[in-house]
Amino acid sequence: MFDEPTLTSSQKQAAIRDEQYERMLNRFGNSAPPSAHAPQTHSGLPIKTAYFPHDVEGLDFEQIGAPGQYPFTRGNLAAQYQLMNWANQPVIGYGLPEDTRTRMDMLSARGMTGYFGQKFYNLVYDLVSHEGIDPDHSSARGRIGQCGMAVYSKADMARLFDGMDLTKMNVVHITYYQVIPALAQYIALAEEQGLTPDQLRGNSMNWYHQSAYVGMSAFPPASAQKLAVELINYCAQKMPRWNTTNLFGYGVEEAGGTAIQEIGLMLAYGIDLMRAVEASGLKADEALPRFGFQIAQANDFFEEICKIRALRRIWATAMYERFGAEDPRSMHVRIHTHTSGACLTAQQPLVNLIRTTLHAFGAALSGVQAMEVSAYDEALSIPTEESATLALRVQQVIQEESNITAVSDPLAGSYYVEALTDQIAAAALELVDRVEAEGGYVAAQQKGWIRREVEASADRWRDMVNSGERRVVGLNCYQDDEGEVAEPNIFKVDPNVEALAVERIEELRTSRDAARFDKAMGAFREVAEDFAKKECKDLGSCELMETAIEAARAEASTGEMMGVLKDALGWRAPHEY
Amino acid sequence: MSTETPGASTDAPIRVLLAKPTHDCHDRGVRLVARRFRDAGFEVIFTNFLLTEEIVNTAIEEDVDVIGVSVSAGGHMPIFEDLLSGLHSNGLDDVMILGGGVIPHDDERTLKAMGVAAIFGPGTSAEDARNLIVQKFGGTVEA
Repeated sequence: MFDEPTLTSSQKQAAIRDEQYERMLNRFGNSAPPSAHAPQTHSGLPIKTAYFPHDVEGLDFEQIGAPGQYPFTRGNLAAQYQLMNWANQPVIGYGLPEDTRTRMDMLSARGMTGYFGQKFYNLVYDLVSHEGIDPDHSSARGRIGQCGMAVYSKADMARLFDGMDLTKMNVVHITYYQVIPALAQYIALAEEQGLTPDQLRGNSMNWYHQSAYVGMSAFPPASAQKLAVELINYCAQKMPRWNTTNLFGYGVEEAGGTAIQEIGLMLAYGIDLMRAVEASGLKADEALPRFGFQIAQANDFFEEICKIRALRRIWATAMYERFGAEDPRSMHVRIHTHTSGACLTAQQPLVNLIRTTLHAFGAALSGVQAMEVSAYDEALSIPTEESATLALRVQQVIQEESNITAVSDPLAGSYYVEALTDQIAAAALELVDRVEAEGGYVAAQQKGWIRREVEASADRWRDMVNSGERRVVGLNCYQDDEGEVAEPNIFKVDPNVEALAVERIEELRTSRDAARFDKAMGAFREVAEDFAKKECKDLGSCELMETAIEAARAEASTGEMMGVLKDALGWRAPHEY
Repeated sequence: MSTETPGASTDAPIRVLLAKPTHDCHDRGVRLVARRFRDAGFEVIFTNFLLTEEIVNTAIEEDVDVIGVSVSAGGHMPIFEDLLSGLHSNGLDDVMILGGGVIPHDDERTLKAMGVAAIFGPGTSAEDARNLIVQKFGGTVEA
């Protein structure tokens, strides 16, 4: 990328600088921190203390390219934020559907804005729904409306979206493995409004793959892969505007994984999933344009930025070279950033606002499409109205005041940023090769291999925090004196929520058309049992989705539908598979 | 290096049951604690549970000295209420109960009054929990 005289000068200047640096280092002697001798990124990649043109001379400029050009290192599109800001996507959900709606309306009124100025709601379901049970189950007490909304049926969705035009908004349904029942209920609600599925915009998570690195009960990995492919097929046929699949890199980071593991594992999963999708009869360009990513933005400022640039490059390359993707949208990495919750501290909680601001700023510099900024009290409870508003304001201050939105990929060309982007991409691809050598993502998951890799990183992080090598303000340095800490205002879900949610599900069971319900559930069960015997190549008829939607029309609850799927496919803690 | 703790009475390893609700995805901490406890020479049983009685049953079957329950997604109060009454009705009042995860301070005070020995929230270390257990049961810790 540079001519000979420049490279010669670069080497010469670097040699002078390095000598000066060594002299300074020697003067500090033992008082110099280890990072001054051998700096590393938080992932453990070795880096230099200064970068020069010759550090990037080996890079192929085509691998960097232009914003909007393959391999999209510098961004999916020519325009980054000049024409449209990233979407504000705070995660919302607690209590009854009406409580969640109150928070949605409040944040909307305070400027939460989606793509093209549209309404955008990022809604999380509660723990009861995640578990695939109903609120009247004996284990539901204490979990109803916690960490998400108590929405278990088409009727609850009607309460949530009361009076809203579903065609005028984008709804992200943050589910775990209840993704098919939740989508079926949403479609059934839309039909009641006279709509058809193709008019709906939004996201299903489809993130069964997270059971490789988080411990909630789950379907067996191979069956889960088929469920993911089923939903992708249904949407390819019936919901062209629906985003089917979210690659949950964030969960890797939260489980203790490094930046390299986060993107390497997501690419490895994407490859495995696309093999299954192809086996079911879909082409790359029929599925990939509706994939998206949830990616963490954690503490190592430059590594996290380069991680995103590297992910865009390696994903585009893999989808083009391995699966013959031609549509640019099939190669784009559309990112919803979730600023890292694992980096936040319960100690001195207001300090978290500073951390999340740095995270959000880095995400913005790397050109992501949407953002959730964690609230400062996230290590303590569900965000209060005040903390949720401040988290939104973090995004708005960067968007409106910093002028970083003027230029696409503004850090491109930095010797350090380009060298590190390349280094991270290579390390992530090496991890992909290791997963492939285990037989691919699902096979590696079944062996517990992925879990072990991520947990080794969690252990390493903990050792570094314990030893003080990794500094955490308020935790292992600059702690408050005992007794000085004011306990912040904590959000609590209204205790009446539980009784009301139970009352509602009981009422639903007695008031619905029993004959229609029995017939729909019978058909769903039969199809689910048949589905259990199928392989990916047998999918594509979408009977499971169709019968799930009919069950949702017949007022089936999430717990009832999940009960059918659990019976047919199996359901256990991931470490027991 | 190993440290003899005063009052060490037996060579049998301390038995610890660590449990996490099935719905709670935040298991990074408790699984790290499980590994660190094993490193310390404890016998560790790790399990996910849907119903609190599953913990009580496992505690009886495995004859554990300590039960640690990690909850990071809310819903901890009913879990500890059911656990303590379940243990009591089975005559297991000697079992040491520890809590971990995201548990607000006022709930922590209530839980301690109910008989939970300690809560290890964000920022505490596995070693703190290990030391508390060794203090009560004695034994040898690989350090």
